[in-house]
Formats: sequence, structure tokens, C-alpha cells
Amino acid sequence: MRTRKIISIIILLILAGGFILTFSQIPFGKDKINVAHYYISKGIEETGAVNIVTSVVLNYRGFDTLGEVTVLFIAAIGLGAVLFTEKRVQKHASKSKDDKTKKASLILRTGSNLLFPLILLFGAYIFVHGHLTPGGGFQGGAVIASGFLLMYLAFPKQSINKKSLSVVESLSGLIFVGIGLFGLIFSGYFLSNFLPKGIPNTLFSAGIIPIIYIAVGFKVGFELTSVIDDLLGRGK
Amino acid sequence: MVNPSLLIGLPLAFAFSIPLFGLISKKIEKYIPIIALFINMVISFMLIPQILKKPIVVSIGGWSPPFCINLVVGPLGILLATLISGIGFLVSIYAVSYIKEEPTEKYHILFLLLMVGAIGIVLTGDIFNLFVFFEILCISSYALVAYYKDKEGTEAAMKYLIQGSVGSSFILIGVALLYGFFGTLNMADIASRITSANPTYLFITLAFLITGFGIEAAIFPLNAWLPDAHSSAPSSISAILSGIAIKTGVYGVARMVYTIFNANSILLFIAFLGLLTLLIGEMCAFRQDDIKRLLAYSSIGQIGLIIFALGIATSLGVFASLFQIVSHALAKALLFLAAGYMIYRVGSKSIASLNGLGKKMPLTSFAFTIGSFSLIGLPPFAGFVSKLSIVYAAMQVKKPVFLAFIAIALIATIIEAGYFFKIVQNLYFKEGKNLDKITESSGYILIPIAILAILIIVIGVHPQFITGLLKASARELLERAGYIGWVLGGT
Repeated sequence: MRTRKIISIIILLILAGGFILTFSQIPFGKDKINVAHYYISKGIEETGAVNIVTSVVLNYRGFDTLGEVTVLFIAAIGLGAVLFTEKRVQKHASKSKDDKTKKASLILRTGSNLLFPLILLFGAYIFVHGHLTPGGGFQGGAVIASGFLLMYLAFPKQSINKKSLSVVESLSGLIFVGIGLFGLIFSGYFLSNFLPKGIPNTLFSAGIIPIIYIAVGFKVGFELTSVIDDLLGRGK
Repeated sequence: MVNPSLLIGLPLAFAFSIPLFGLISKKIEKYIPIIALFINMVISFMLIPQILKKPIVVSIGGWSPPFCINLVVGPLGILLATLISGIGFLVSIYAVSYIKEEPTEKYHILFLLLMVGAIGIVLTGDIFNLFVFFEILCISSYALVAYYKDKEGTEAAMKYLIQGSVGSSFILIGVALLYGFFGTLNMADIASRITSANPTYLFITLAFLITGFGIEAAIFPLNAWLPDAHSSAPSSISAILSGIAIKTGVYGVARMVYTIFNANSILLFIAFLGLLTLLIGEMCAFRQDDIKRLLAYSSIGQIGLIIFALGIATSLGVFASLFQIVSHALAKALLFLAAGYMIYRVGSKSIASLNGLGKKMPLTSFAFTIGSFSLIGLPPFAGFVSKLSIVYAAMQVKKPVFLAFIAIALIATIIEAGYFFKIVQNLYFKEGKNLDKITESSGYILIPIAILAILIIVIGVHPQFITGLLKASARELLERAGYIGWVLGGT
């Protein structure tokens, strides 16, 4: 056992050595990266999004984002598949009287009721303004999911309708792919920005970017909510 | 012209829409993967003649190549994409009646997304995008390995998850290092600048990338997860994991070593690793008494052979390696599908319980025999041609070390023949117990098995159907200047 530990420590040291040695060679933060330079100088003009990060994430490298949305979708679906229980034991248990989950305190319930719509509004604000201000669909979605988490904590006996969750997930995913396919139809490139770019700094600008971010915001928000639901063991 | 981005976009759209079809009727969902992969197969077949003339580079979003993500659909990409959609199509037919355990809707979504990941890996021309598709493939396979939710499957999935995540993070570190050195993520762009960086640090980067892809490809000593994962997954998923998923790891290694790094100096080491993997895989397979574990270990051995041939690095060697990828994918998918249904009928995974099935399930057993004979390398099956080309390629190098290597590889083939002959003999010539109620497989099971068996024979008898594409693919890997030229123009 001991030799095993020593060997693994040695391997880790070699790994870390190679890692540090190589990373120390890279001059990070210097303006030598021509692709990044291009994004900074041409980004606003070519995509119409004032937030350069958004212009890279959703326009130049939008395909990666589609992939990442898919990864999150797989994680939620996979978790649902692994934790799936056919008997729906939990649902009956929660209705019976010897249920051990306590009712949350009055303060928590009232506070949650008050905060929930505000959290949703804040999340929606973040993803709707993804092309103008820092943040975007993923961040806004996570904020929305945190609102649902609060509701789950305050009202442990209620749960959200899974069917509508999965419908929203599918629809928003389809909108993302659909916009990509429309781009292919209208301008010959998958995921190209085929809508008018508008005036920078206004809400209705940057073509397809805000639409995709709204879809991503819904998708991420509802996916994380369904992950929370699965992990709390609410069954189906 | 059909746009190759449809090969990824359409199945993705179908996968997202499965829950919506589920609202209409629960019966539709299992046919969606069949439709999606059939369309994919047709599109990729239509693209082949065009790509043999001139490879297609598609930019996503409409910007010029180094600034956006692009797909590079060369001969190698379309060869593997066709193979993936074809086998995926057949396996999805099999799954219609094989997958009965709930939640079937989630199974079909995950299966289709696994296919999207595999197709994306072989078509993309951007190294970070490659990583994203790799994650799609890996994460959906972790969930599918644990699909039966039994102890064995959950443990295997956990092992796979831990080792696979380590592999993915190694790839991510490698990608980050490359981006740090060159400031670009486009594979052709990196390849054209590779000489400008310090070779020592490039070597460390390459080591990270090869280790990462090597875990998915199950190269020794990174193969610990494979026997568990491939044997405890549902058989349709085992067929995909063994037939397709590990090949994407091999593709990753080949793309890094040949196209991006041009690392000729480590090829001998790669060949040696391949040989080691081959020997260890076959020796472990010989000792198994669980049919699915045996097939899983045999996959490790076959991957070793593929990697070995890849390390020969002549055009014939790479050609033989790609041929072996095709013949192994067909044969191993067939074996897992056939064995999966035999297991379903007899209710046990042990080899002894398959005794005497040759009379009860004649068609399935016959197909199993064809698959195993092709893996051993007997004529007139596809495996014969591919193994013969590997031997021929190794002889042609005229280095004594390769002669020694090929001698060892032949010994491994004899071991392989040993255990497959034993199974086939048991199938036909041993008396089984309690076989009275067992009947032949049903239609949805037999169709894919029969098609795979026919393909193995057709390719074995007429290898010229695919040799043109294989030769062009080998050329794509060996002539990196050509690849760079397609994407960046010039040269």
C-alpha cells in the first residue's frame, strides 16, 4: 500500500513538473494572439454585439456553444436515466402522514415567495441583455435555477411539473439548432447571423444572438431545475 | 450540393425533439434514431464521390477559417462518418425490440447524442470543438453504461466516469497549451505553425493529448475501464462502444500525431505500445468465461493491432490500420449484437451457457461465427484482407524490429483464434442444458445482424469497394501539407 502511494506521488510530481514547465513558457496576456486580436478589433462591427465575449461565444464560435448546451442536456438526461425509479415510491411517501420532511419556517416561506419572481426577473434580465452587458444565457439560466432551488427548499412537498420542464428544454434546444439550420438556408452557412444587425448598444441588435441567448437561458434554467428535482429524489 | 454540417445538425435536432414526439405517442420515440441515422447515412454516401475529387471545408457561421469553427470533410472524415452512421443505424434498429427497460425515451436521446458526438469528432477541424464533441460522446456513454442501474453497471460507469474525466482534462490541458503557444485553435493553422515552438514543450503537450485520447482508445496501460464498461452496458451500447467509440480515440491519436504534430520520432514507440496492448488484450480475453468480457478484452487486442499498424507509418501501414478499423467495427458490432441476444434468450453471460445454441438459434449463431472468423482473419471475410495488409505493410518496412513485431502479432492472432474457435465449437458441437424453450431471434434483431454479416463477406470478397476511400484517407493523414492547404488555401 505504501509503495503504491509513493509511486502515485512520484507520478503526480512528474505531471506537475511538466505542466508548470510548459505553462511558464507561455507569455499569457500579451498581444500576440492574432485570432483574439481580430475578434477585439472587428467583433462589434461584424456581429453587432457590444459584449465581445458574447460575439465570440455565440457567433464566431457558436458551434462550440451548441455543443456545450448539448453536454448540459446530456448531463440532465443522463442523471434522469440513472436515477429513474419506476415505482414512484417517493410520491406516495410524501403524501402519507409519517413523512419526515418538515415544513419550512414561515420566514423562509414568505421570503421565498417574495424573492422568487425577483430572481426570475433578474435571470431573464441577464440573458436578454447577453449581447450588451456581461453575462448571458448560461449565467441567466443558472440564476433562474437558483430561484427554483429556493422554492424547493421552502416548499419541500411540492414539485414542478416534469413534463412541461422537458417540453421547454426540447423546444429551446430545437430553436438553437433551428436557427442554425435557417442560417444554412438563408446564407449558406450553418449558424450564420442572417438577421439584420441593428444599431449597436440597443436591445434589438446583433441579429440572432439575443434569440439564441434567450433559448439558452430557458434551456439552462430548466435543465438545472430538473437536475435539482432528480437529485432531491422526487421521482417522476 | 449537400452541406456536411447537416450531418451534425440534423441528428442533433432529432435528438432534441424526441421528448416532443413522446408527447404525441410513446411508440414513436424509438424510430427517431433510425430515421435520423438513415438520413445521415444517405447524406454521407452522397458526399463520398464529391470528396474523393475535392475535400469540402465548411465554415460554421460564415467567417473565414482561422477565425471561426470549421468542418474539414476529407476522405478520412467521411469514411469514419459513414461507418459511424451506418453502424449506428443498424444498432438503432436492433434497439427497437431489445431496449425494453424504462426510461426508453432517455435511452434513445442519449444514444442519438452519442452518435452526434462521434460524427462531430471525426468531422471537425477545430481542436477545441473536437474536445466539446469528445465530451458529448463520453458523457452520454457514461450514462448509457449505467442504464440498467444494477450494481455491476453502476460500478463500471463510475470507473469509466473517473478515468474518462481524467482523460478529458488531459486533452483540455493539451488544448490550452496549444492555444497558449500559437494563439489559434484551428487544427490546420496550428499544424502550419508547429515548427515555431520549442520541441521539448511540444513533446509535453503531445504527451498530454495522447494520454487523453489513449484512455478513450484503451491503449495499454490506460485500458482498465474498458472490460467492465463494455461488458455491463446494454449489448446495443456495447456494440457502439466497441465498434465506434474507441475508434474515435484512435482517430484523435492519429490526428494529433500525424496532422498536427508531425511527430515521426515517436511512431516506433506508438507501434510498440500497440503491440503491448494487442498481447495483453488477447491474453486476458483467453482467460475469460463471461462472453461479453471476452469480447471486450478482444476489442482491446484489436485496438492494439490498429495502433500498431498506425505506427508503421508507411502509406500501406496507415491504409491497413484504417482497413482494420472498418473490419473490426463491423465484426465487433455483429458479435456484440448476436451475443447480446443469445444472452437475452439463455439468461446468462457465461460462455458455457451458450453450448448447443447452434441448433436452436441457427441464424444468430451462424452470424456470430462469421463475425468471429473475420476477427481471427480467415478468408473470405473482411478481417482476412485487413490483417493480411498489416502483415504485408510490416514486412515491407524492411527493419528487423518490425519483423519481430509482426511475429509477436501473429502469436497474438493464434491466441485469438484459440478462444474464438472454442466458442464456435461449443455453439455447434456441445449439448446444452434447458434449451427446449429457446427460439430464433425476431425480425428487428435479425435484420441488423444479417446486414453486418453480409457486409463482412462482401468487403472480404470485393475489398476494392472501399480501398479507394481508404487509400485517400491514408494519404490525408500522411500528407499534412495537403490538409493545411485545404483549410487555409495556398500550397
